[in-house]
Amino acid sequence: MNIIIEVKNLCKTYGDIKAVNDVSFAVEQGEIFGMLGPNGAGKTTTMEIVEGLRTADSGSVLVVGMDIMKRPRRIKASIGVQLQTTSLYPRLTVREVLDLFGSFFPKSLPADELIELVKLEDSRNKLCKNLSGGQQQRLSVALALVNDPRILFFDEPTAGLDPQARHNIWDVIKLAQKKGKTIFFTTHYMEEAERLCDRVAIIDYGKIIATDSPDKLIHHHFTEEAIEFQLDQPTDVDVLRKLAGVTNVVVENGKVTVYSNSVPVTIAALLEMAKQSGMKLNDLYVRRATLEDVFLKLTGRRIRD
Amino acid sequence: MRVLWNLLVANLKQFVRERAALFWSFAFPIIFILIFGAVFSGTNDISFSVGLVMKDDSPPAQTLSEVLQQVPAFELNIGNEDSELQALKDGDRGAVIVVSSDFGEVISRGGKGSIDVYYDPTKSASQQILLPIIRRVLDEFDRMIGQTPSLVQLNEKTLQTREIRAIDYLVPGVLAMALMQLGLFAAELLVTERENKVLKRLGATPLRRSTLIVSTVVFRLLIALGQAALIIVVAMLVFDVPMLGNWFFLAGMVILGTLAFLAMGYMVSAFVKTQEAVMPLLMAIQFPMMFLSGIFFPVEFMPGFMRPIMEAIPLTYLGDSLRQIMVESSALHAHWINIGVLSGWFVVSLGIAVRFFRWE
Repeated sequence: MNIIIEVKNLCKTYGDIKAVNDVSFAVEQGEIFGMLGPNGAGKTTTMEIVEGLRTADSGSVLVVGMDIMKRPRRIKASIGVQLQTTSLYPRLTVREVLDLFGSFFPKSLPADELIELVKLEDSRNKLCKNLSGGQQQRLSVALALVNDPRILFFDEPTAGLDPQARHNIWDVIKLAQKKGKTIFFTTHYMEEAERLCDRVAIIDYGKIIATDSPDKLIHHHFTEEAIEFQLDQPTDVDVLRKLAGVTNVVVENGKVTVYSNSVPVTIAALLEMAKQSGMKLNDLYVRRATLEDVFLKLTGRRIRD
Repeated sequence: MRVLWNLLVANLKQFVRERAALFWSFAFPIIFILIFGAVFSGTNDISFSVGLVMKDDSPPAQTLSEVLQQVPAFELNIGNEDSELQALKDGDRGAVIVVSSDFGEVISRGGKGSIDVYYDPTKSASQQILLPIIRRVLDEFDRMIGQTPSLVQLNEKTLQTREIRAIDYLVPGVLAMALMQLGLFAAELLVTERENKVLKRLGATPLRRSTLIVSTVVFRLLIALGQAALIIVVAMLVFDVPMLGNWFFLAGMVILGTLAFLAMGYMVSAFVKTQEAVMPLLMAIQFPMMFLSGIFFPVEFMPGFMRPIMEAIPLTYLGDSLRQIMVESSALHAHWINIGVLSGWFVVSLGIAVRFFRWE
C-alpha cells in the first residue's frame, strides 16, 4: 500500500487547550479516510494543518511525499479542499467561479465537466448567492475538484444538509474514489463515517483513540448486539445487568441500551421480567453495534452531547 | 499576470452586479453634489423682499422711495403699515421700512426725518445683510439731499484671481469624501471575507497572497479614477465647475489619497473580527473626518479648539490638494506638505496593518 499522507506526533496548542495532542496516522492512496469525533475534538485543526492552512507547534506532515512546511504551494496544487464557506463570490455565476478558481492552478478541469459531475447543470449561470444550501455545498465540492487533485479534503461535507443533499455528496465522494482519488474527511455523523469510510480514526480531546475500518472497530469492541427500548418508569440497572447474555447496560433519559452476546436469550429474559413487574418496553428494537457504541465504550460519552 | 487579471475581472463583475456598491460609489457623491449645488446656487443672486410704508408723500419722501427702489438686492413692496407688518410676521418680508408722516416736513425744517425699520432679530440674514444695506441707502440719501459730493470713491477688488463659489469649493471635497469611503470600506469586505472563510479557501489554493492583495488594490484604484472622472464631468456640465489644474497631477493625488485610506481600511480590518463590529467603527472614523476636515466648508468656520483635530485628519490634506488643483483655491498647505502627510498616513497605517493583520 502506498502511503499518501503521513502525520507523525502532531501537536497544536491554543492558549491552555491542546487542540491536537500527539496525533499520528497515515492515509493510504485511494482510500476514503474519515476522522470522526465530536465538535471541538480537534478534527478541523488537524485537517487544516495537513492542508497547509495552519502551522503545527510540533510534529511532521508529509503529503504526497513532501513536507507541508517546506513545499506548501506544490502540495496545494495537488490537493483539493472543501470548506464550509457560505459564499465565495456571491455575485459571480457558478461557471465564473469555477473558471476563476481553475486559473489559480497550473492545470485544471473544464468548468462544464465539474458542473456535470456535481449535477449543477441547471444552475451554471446562476449567481452564487442565489443557490440553495445544497447547491452551494455541491459547488464547494466542485471547487475542491477543480484542479483534478490527487487528494480531496472535506471538512464536515454534509453538516446541516437534508438527507437527499447528503446522499448527493456521498455519491460524489464515492465517484471520486472510483476515479482513483484519495479522500480525507471529517464528520461527527456516525452513519456517514460507517457508510463511507474505508478506515476511520476516532478522535476525542485532541487525541486519536482508535483507527481502523468501521467493521473491524465494531467487531473488535463488540461481539454483542444492542437491544434498545424506552422505559416509562425508573429501573434498577443491576437487575437488567443480571439477565442472561447481557454484557453491559447504558441508561440515558429513559432510553435503555442493553448489549447482549445472545440476543434471543436476553430478549426472552427481558420479556419475562417485563411480564412479571408489569413494566412496558416501548420502541423495542435490536440492532448491531455501531461506531456510536464504540465511541460510547471508549469515552463514556455519546458523540453529540 | 493572468491570475491577477482574472481576479480583477471577477472583482469588477461582482462590483457592477451589486447595486448598493454602485450607488454608494457613484450615485451618492453625484446626488450629494446636485443637492448641495442646488442649495448653494441660490446665494449668488441674493434678493430680499422688503416692505415700504409711505405715510408721507412729500418730495424728500418720494426721493427716498426712489432710492430704495434702485437697490438691486431689494424686491420692494409698497403697502400700508398693518398689511406689511403682518407680512413680516408671516415671514414674507425680510424687513419693513416705515417712513413717518412728518418726514418731509421735519427735513424741510432742517431736522432729521424719522424712519422705522422693523425686522426679525432671530433671522441672522436681516441683521447681517439687510440692516447694513439700509444704512448705506440712507447715507446715499443723505448725500443726495445735502448735496455733499462724495470725497472718496471705494473700488472693491478681491485678492483671489478667481472667485470661488460654494459649489467650486464643495466638488473637490465630495471627491475627497468618495475616495475616503472607497478606501475605508475595503475593511468591510476584507473582514466579511475573513469571517466567511473566503480568505481561508483561497489560502488552500496555490494563489499567492501578494497577488490577491495587488488585485484588490488595483481594483479600488480603478474605481477611484472612475469616481473622480464622473464627479468632475458632472460638476463641469451641471454647475460649470472648472478643472484648472493638471489632469495627471489630479490623478496622482486621487491615487495617493485612495492608497492612504485603503491602508487605513486594512489597519481597521486588522483589529476588528466581525462584520457587525466593522461598520459602526468605520462610521465612527468617517463622520468626524467628513465634518472636521474642511472638505465641505472653509476651516475658518470652525471653532479654534477643533483646529488640532483638523490638522491631524488625512482627509483635510487630500481635500486641500484636490481643491487647489481643480479650482485653484488658496492653499491651506503647500502640495508637498499634503503629499507628505498622506504618504505618512499610508506608510504608518500599512505598517500597523501588516504587523497585526490575521488571515483567519
